[in-house]
Amino acid sequence: MAAETADTPQHPPQDGIAAILKDAGIAALISLALALPLFGFRIVGFGSGRGLALEERWDWVVTAVLAVFAGRIALNLWLRRFRAVLAIGGRVGDGVGDKIGQAVAAAPRLGRILQAAKPAFRIAVAGALLAVALAWPAFPFVDRYLLDLGVIVLTYVMLGWGLNIVVGLAGLLDLGYVAFYAVGAYSYALLALHFDLGFWECLPLAGAFAAFFGIVLGFPVLRLRGDYLAIVTLGFGEIIRIILINWYPVTNGPNGISGIPRPSFFGLPFAADPPEGTVAFHQFFGLEYASTQRIAFLYYVILALALVTNLFTLRIRRLPVGRAWEALREDEIACRSLGINPRNTKLTAFAIGAMFAGFGGSFFATRQGFISPESFSFIESAIILAIVVLGGMGSQLGVVLAAVLLIGVTEFFRELEQFRMLAFGAGMVAIMVWRPRGLLAHRDPTIRLHARGEKA
Amino acid sequence: MPAPDRPLLTVEHLTMRFGGLVAVHDVSFTAAGRRITAIIGPNGAGKTTVFNCITGFYSPTVGRIVLHGGRGDFLLERMEGYLIAQKARVARTFQNIRLFPRMSVLENLLVAQHNALMRASGMSVLGLLGAAGFRHAEREAVDHARYWLDRTALADVADIDAGTLPYGAQRRLEIARAMCTRPALLCLDEPAAGLNHAESRDLNHLLRFIRDEHEIGVLLIEHDMSVVMEISDHVVVLDYGRKIAEGSPEAVRHSPDVIRAYLGEEEGEALPPEVTADLKGEGGAGAAHERGPAETQ
Ligand SMILES: Nc1ncnc2c1ncn2[C@@H]1O[C@H](COP(=O)(O)OP(=O)(O)OP(=O)(O)O)[C@@H](O)[C@H]1O
Ligand SMILES: [Mg+2]
Repeated sequence: MAAETADTPQHPPQDGIAAILKDAGIAALISLALALPLFGFRIVGFGSGRGLALEERWDWVVTAVLAVFAGRIALNLWLRRFRAVLAIGGRVGDGVGDKIGQAVAAAPRLGRILQAAKPAFRIAVAGALLAVALAWPAFPFVDRYLLDLGVIVLTYVMLGWGLNIVVGLAGLLDLGYVAFYAVGAYSYALLALHFDLGFWECLPLAGAFAAFFGIVLGFPVLRLRGDYLAIVTLGFGEIIRIILINWYPVTNGPNGISGIPRPSFFGLPFAADPPEGTVAFHQFFGLEYASTQRIAFLYYVILALALVTNLFTLRIRRLPVGRAWEALREDEIACRSLGINPRNTKLTAFAIGAMFAGFGGSFFATRQGFISPESFSFIESAIILAIVVLGGMGSQLGVVLAAVLLIGVTEFFRELEQFRMLAFGAGMVAIMVWRPRGLLAHRDPTIRLHARGEKA
Repeated sequence: MPAPDRPLLTVEHLTMRFGGLVAVHDVSFTAAGRRITAIIGPNGAGKTTVFNCITGFYSPTVGRIVLHGGRGDFLLERMEGYLIAQKARVARTFQNIRLFPRMSVLENLLVAQHNALMRASGMSVLGLLGAAGFRHAEREAVDHARYWLDRTALADVADIDAGTLPYGAQRRLEIARAMCTRPALLCLDEPAAGLNHAESRDLNHLLRFIRDEHEIGVLLIEHDMSVVMEISDHVVVLDYGRKIAEGSPEAVRHSPDVIRAYLGEEEGEALPPEVTADLKGEGGAGAAHERGPAETQ
């Protein structure tokens, strides 16, 4: 209850009726300024040939201003009551006020509990999530739609983990991450179509191409910091997309590339009736053909890719280069004074992050069978970044939770059409209000001098 | 063993301009190995700017800065900042402490050993594979860190975030971190600022220990005269970017130019007792010297 009692002195009872009226008056004035041009005048046509006229709608303006005025007063009164309730809840140990106060205070505490939880608890959560992920296609209620959803969520988890290296560890705000995703996707598509290479041969190549692009793009811009870097990477993301649209002979422009080969299970294709001379997956294993077999296979491919990304990150965080990334995020000047080459260190983070985006991109291409520049717009970068930031920068588990929340849960609002984005936005606002540093902002040291729990 | 007074650092005709402002004007001095050389002067005299030139954060407008290292001379004014730390082995601390606040104390000290560990981890490849050589190198790095943690009384808090340490401990950690780079020259920018009396005394012990046992040169910016007078072997006094005096603490303390710089231009005025006391090294810890009124305009 300490939080609520500490809150009360900041809102002394002096904000009485006069203050509320003043506040509402200001709000009404602002709404008047807005409502006049927006509601006040309307251009109406008088049918053919008779021209246009300006219609005045003073009643609309008055209604809007009054509504804002009254609404603002109501809001203020309600807030005051609400605070009073919290304060009572804080002081008196029982009563309704206490219950409300506790309920309101519980929401932010939930995150804090998760955060302060012992590592054993976090490991248990991670293990449970992994078990669910492994068993997901086998659950009886998981139909084709949920399986697909699992693939999408895992794709974002993987991309989030990849971007987490760049943003969460190295602290480089990259708004153009989707560019490397696109490079990976187009690398796979073009290599597979023109050189007849399979998915598993293309995967490392696509990763290498994306990493190469990461170095080429990163080299000139990584001396920039913070917002400047963000803007330049945003630009690069768009440049790559525009090149994809305009480089018609290679990328087929806005029409995209179709007929991208689907992955095969060690050479066994997933097809109802495979071409002459090849054995399909279901025939080889003597199963009934089902389209979900291919999706389940894709599911495990992306799960494996995501886990590789995660293990790599967990491991490299404990290496000197990983610590140097985090040190750079904390203080670049101090790093230089310790003899760390900031440019090379940032470049490795940028390139490795890009490599994982490249892997993700190849997977995307093979899953869809069709890619076009439209799939690589800025909103994708923004979603991946949102997953990293909401999850808690640098937290691997946080990325999973944020991806499930942002992608999985908002997917259920799909029927609501445009309201889905509303739910997305509301979720983001809620997290930022309660957990401004992300769902899980906790960070464990990568090495310890004293064993945990041992009193030094 | 090198002669104790062999110059370790030579600064010649150093000038640093920021637009029209001349922050450092034609300053020359040397700092010897195994000696503590103090740079003192009123606020804004250009002390930190000299440090920034030595450690490569600024490139001087004019001048030569040479570090006479065990493996030859380094022309610091031509080197990139991180190479000065890496190759010429010049380590520094900052006037406004710059730790890695969201990393643990031990991690701060391991980051300081980055280059050695990076080589041992085969540019991360061997490290990713978990090679034995790397694990051995990391254990050694932890031992080295442990050594400095013990010297700075931070071993107990090795696993907590550096940003949560009290102020005095953060100052010590910054020195420990600089020492973990195994420097030839250690540059400390006001290490005693904000320390209480006991902490300031411990700092003196630590600096003497560093000078005597590790045989490295220390360049020390300090406002606290009790620290300067007690531990420095040589003092350089700056005022308005110029060197106005240089010599032993005794000589500097009695130099009329120095007294004037610290007191303002009005000569002949009786010295306020706390200033005289300060100049004689009797002042309490943390006494800051503001310019006299005649100079602040
Ligand atoms: N990057 C910069 N750009 C412009 N002016 C600067 C810059 N750095 C330092 N100065 C100016 O140079 C002069 C000397 O500053 P410096 O920080 O070296 O003083 P100092 O002796 O360290 O003072 P203090 O005791 O307050 O730390 C000051 O007038 C300062 O404003
Ligand atoms: Mg200074």
